[in-house]
This record gives sequence, C-alpha cells and structure tokens, in this order.
Amino acid sequence: MAESTSGFGTSKHNDFAWVYALYELGQKVATGIDPRRVQQDILDHIVSGLDAESGSIALLVEGTADVLEIVAGTDLPPGAVGSRLPPGVGVFGHVLATGQPLLINGDVAETRLPLRLNQRRERSTDSAMCWPLRVDDRIIGTLAVNRAAGAPRYTVADLDRGQIVTSLLALVMANHRMHVDRENRISELSQLNAEMQRINALLEDAQDQIIHSERLASIGQIAAGVAHEINNPVAFVLSNLYTLETYLSGLFRLLEQPVEARGSPAPGSAQAGLDVDFMREDGVALLHESREGLLRVKRIVEDLKDFSRGGADETWESADLHKVLESTLNMIRNEVKYKARIETRYGDLPQVECLPSRINQVFLNLLVNASQAIDASGTITISSGIDGREVWFRFEDNGCGISKEHLHRIFEPFFTTKPVGQGTGLGLSVSYSIVRKHGGQIEVDSELGRGTRFTVRLPTRQAAAGNAHGTDRAIAVNAA
Amino acid sequence: MARILIVDDEQGVLNALRRMCLNSMITPAVPDPHVTTFTSPLQALGYVRDHPVDLVISDYRMPEMDGTTFLTRLKQLQPDTARMILSAYTDMDGIVRAINDAGIFRFVSKPWSDVDLRVSIVQVLEHRALLLENRKLANEVRVQRGIISRQQADLEKLEAESPGITRVRWSEDGGVLLED
Repeated sequence: MAESTSGFGTSKHNDFAWVYALYELGQKVATGIDPRRVQQDILDHIVSGLDAESGSIALLVEGTADVLEIVAGTDLPPGAVGSRLPPGVGVFGHVLATGQPLLINGDVAETRLPLRLNQRRERSTDSAMCWPLRVDDRIIGTLAVNRAAGAPRYTVADLDRGQIVTSLLALVMANHRMHVDRENRISELSQLNAEMQRINALLEDAQDQIIHSERLASIGQIAAGVAHEINNPVAFVLSNLYTLETYLSGLFRLLEQPVEARGSPAPGSAQAGLDVDFMREDGVALLHESREGLLRVKRIVEDLKDFSRGGADETWESADLHKVLESTLNMIRNEVKYKARIETRYGDLPQVECLPSRINQVFLNLLVNASQAIDASGTITISSGIDGREVWFRFEDNGCGISKEHLHRIFEPFFTTKPVGQGTGLGLSVSYSIVRKHGGQIEVDSELGRGTRFTVRLPTRQAAAGNAHGTDRAIAVNAA
Repeated sequence: MARILIVDDEQGVLNALRRMCLNSMITPAVPDPHVTTFTSPLQALGYVRDHPVDLVISDYRMPEMDGTTFLTRLKQLQPDTARMILSAYTDMDGIVRAINDAGIFRFVSKPWSDVDLRVSIVQVLEHRALLLENRKLANEVRVQRGIISRQQADLEKLEAESPGITRVRWSEDGGVLLED
C-alpha cells in the first residue's frame, strides 16, 4: 500500500488559497448561476485538491431520511447526475447510515459504489474516500473521491484531513441548498401570487357582474313606477298635439276665407266654435306644457340610461352627490310618492370623488327599501352633511323596521324577507360592497314598528389606501 | 249643459283634458261643457258636496287616495254622477274594485286617444241622461197610477237637482249636519 505523496494536506494544497477558492465557489450560488454547474465546479475543485481521479457528491432528497440524489460527479455515465440512489445501498448508503467516513483501498468492484456502474472507465478504482456532509449534527449528503489503480492509495491521515474540508463543503452545500430553496420558494410564491391575482381579477369581475345584475334587477323593481312617470307626460303631450292640430286646421280654414267674412262669423256657422284669441293664448300654453312634459320624459330616460349603463369601465370622477341623489329620486319618485312624503335636509357638500352610477345604485336600494318598508303612508327623510373628510347621507323611514334577529343578516347576499319578486336579496349586500369600494361605510339603526335609519359615509377623496381604487391609483401614479 | 269634474295629480293631464273637452271643433263635441279640475281628490270631494256634477273622470294612482276610493266616496255624495277612471295603472284587483265598489261606467287607459275618450264621454253622458229621464218618466207614470204620492216624486225630483238635499240631517239646534 503506497503512502500518498501528494494530495490534500500537503503543503501544495494546504494553503489558504484553495480553501478560499472553495468558499468563493460556494458564494457563486448566491449569484444565480445554474446550481448544478456550481456544484460540479465545487466537486472539480475538491477532486483536484485531493489529487483524486474522480469524485461525486450526493445530497439527501428534501423530506426524506435516506434517499440520496447525485448532484455532481466526474467520470460518471450520462444520466447519473440527477439520478437517485436506492436507500441503504452502496458506500454512500453505508456512510449515510453510519455517519462515519469510510476509506476503501483495494478492489472496489465488490462494493456497490455508483462509479461501479461506469462501464467506460478504463482503470478500475483502487482507492476511495467517502465522508458524510454534516451541518449541525444533521447529515445532508455524502462526498466521495476516488483514485484509480496505479496512483498512490489514500491513507487514514488523508481521510482525517479530508474531514476538515467536508465541514466547509457541507456548509457550502447547505448554504447552496438554502439558496436554491429560497429561490424555489420565491418562484413558488410568485406563482401563487400570480394565481391569486388571477383569481382576484375573476372575483372582481364576478363582483362587477353581480353589481350590474343587481342594478338591472332594481330597474325591474321600479319599472312600473318609471313607466307611470313617463306615461303621464306622454299622455298629455299626445292629447295636446291632437288639440293643436284642430286649432291649426281651424285657423287655416279661416285663412282660406275672404278677409271680409273673417270678422263676424255668422252665429251657428262652422266658425262659431273658432275663438281665435283663445286659440292664440291656449296654443302657446299648450306648447309650453308639452315641452315641459317632454323634458321630463327626457330626463327620466337619461337617468335610467346613466343608471343602467354604468358598468365596470366607469371612471372615478368628482361628482355633486346631491345631483346624483336627485337623479335617483327622479327615477323612483313615482314608486314612492303614493306612499311616502320625501323630506330633504341637505347640508353643504363638496364634490366627492366616486363612481356616480354606483352611488346612485346605493341610493336607489336604500330608497326602494325605505318605500317598501312603509305600508300605507309615511315619511322618508333624507339628510346629508360633512364630517371632517367624509360626507354622510342618511335615509330615515318610519316604516315597519327590521327585527333584531334579521338586523345582523341584512348585508348577507341573498338574505331577504321580501316576498318573491320584490327583492333579490342582493340590494344591501351590493350596496355594502360599493360603499366599501369607495372606502366608506354603511350604518344601520332600526326598531320594529318605528322605522329604520341607514347612514352612508363616503370619503371625499380616494387617496386613502386600503381600498381597491386607492391601490389602482397608486399603481397608476408609479407607472407614470 | 255637461258638468264635468276631472281629478288627476298631474296638472298637465288636467290641462290637456280640459282642452279636449272644451274644443268644439271636433266631433263628437261634448255638449256645452263646464269643466272643473282638481289635483287633490280631497278637495274634489269638498267641491262635490255643494256642486252637482254630471260626469267625473278620475286618475287611479294619486297620493291622497286611489281613484276607486275617491269615486266610492263620491258615489255616496252624488249617486247619479257618471264615473270614469282614466289611468295607466292596470292592476286587476284595482279594476275589479273600481267596477264593483265604485260602479264606474268606463275604464280608459293612459295614454288615451282623444277621439275614443270623447266618444266615451259623450256616450256616458247620454247614457246617464237616459237613465235620469227614464226614472223621471217612470215616476210620472207611477204618480199617475197613484202608486207613489206626488210628494215622494217631488222629493226625488229635488234630489236629482240637488243631490243629497233630501237626506239632510238636522241637529237639535236646527243646524245642518254635514258628513265628512
């Protein structure tokens, strides 16, 4: 058995430079270079440092106690790197199980080392050393170096000296693995994050859909009232036009007659009914009233259109919320006026940054609820005001009120006590989410038999973080 | 003379209907129309107390009371007044009550056709005139046959001219008690 004349531990290799180079290789891991490549470089460094012919590093597979995966190797057949070793088998299995370094001199064909599989190896391995890689008393893998026959065999002294290197190697490998894990976790997390964002977007879409559906459903609820509100002006304008037609044909008939005959129509003649003065006065009044009527229809149709159209693509704008409320009242005045008197006590409000048609939807819901809560006749009081940086709107009715056991459920989706066809059970839940989207809040007080009071609070500006819009805007600002 | 009372909470509708009734340039024209309008059914009931009316046209949906309630109360004050409802409201229950309780002659939907509405008005007025005439003649025949006394016939005649006058209730101090 020849003494090793060169190798780790000799003056040639026992220098600080070699250890430092190993350390540096380990640091490369952090720079994002392909980890397999770094591991191979480390192995090559060790193989050369220990004057070995070949070597291999295997690491414990995460989450297992005895499965090793070859992460680097020299002179190994293709596919060996990355393959897993059967547990408890071979030199690596033995070292892993015992936790003790192993020196093998002589015929290794008897052992079941991974390199035994190498059919193309020209010289058979004659001397080999194998160490467990330890971090904090925990074995994370194994390292082996080999010399072919002809080269000096390793000694126990080499094995002991090598032990020092393996401690450093173990640290480098552990460090590396942690880094890889971290990278994996980061990429996993970012994947999860992307997935969550996708789901979030889907949820927001669904939410928008629900809000829009609810909006259309509430139009259905007020449709009869709106139809009536439109029908009245249409009815009298039509009638007025018919009357105007007879006035005009009467006047034209008069114009066709000779001038002398116009002055004094014979009593009982066709012209007896022609009162030119009356027609002149009434014609003007008639046209004026008709125009007013048509303007009313136009306003209602516009309000309805604005209301039904405002979808997900609506933009935030500064709006006069009293105007928004008036447009809501235009739509449901007919629904309400036969049951309730509406009293308004508006404060002085600044412009409020909001999605007007959404706020419109909240107002509509609260007003329809108030109206439906009133059985025969009552009062709905609407007041508004400003409180620091937020404005508030209060809708108060003296209707039937909400019982205690229902009060905490009213914002739940699909919760309704209304008869089928009168409510979707979504009104308040949607109102709640709209107000939340604005960074505001809804409060409710109610007493059975006495009435209910809803208060909507909205911030005047949407700068505050913590709501979807604020976030969007922050992103928009950064992008700019 | 046709005394017509129109009640609708919409002033525009009242104006249009007044124009239509007063317009004599189209046929059938309402004969000698006298039109009174109210936006409030309560005020209309107050008016009806001391103003005989031949025909009343009422909206259905009004804030103070619905058209059926209004016409039912009006019927108690002036049973011989012809009653019509003009409304966009088409609730079955409301229509049934209007026919059974208020005893309406016509239900006309909004928006109305001027021609159809005028035909209805003229027909209803003629129908009512026929009924009253028929009753008057029947009473004369009954008097002649001695079935009812002259006094009772006079009372009915008086009632026809001033509705409610034969049913005045007197208080102990001689005042006239008015129903609300």
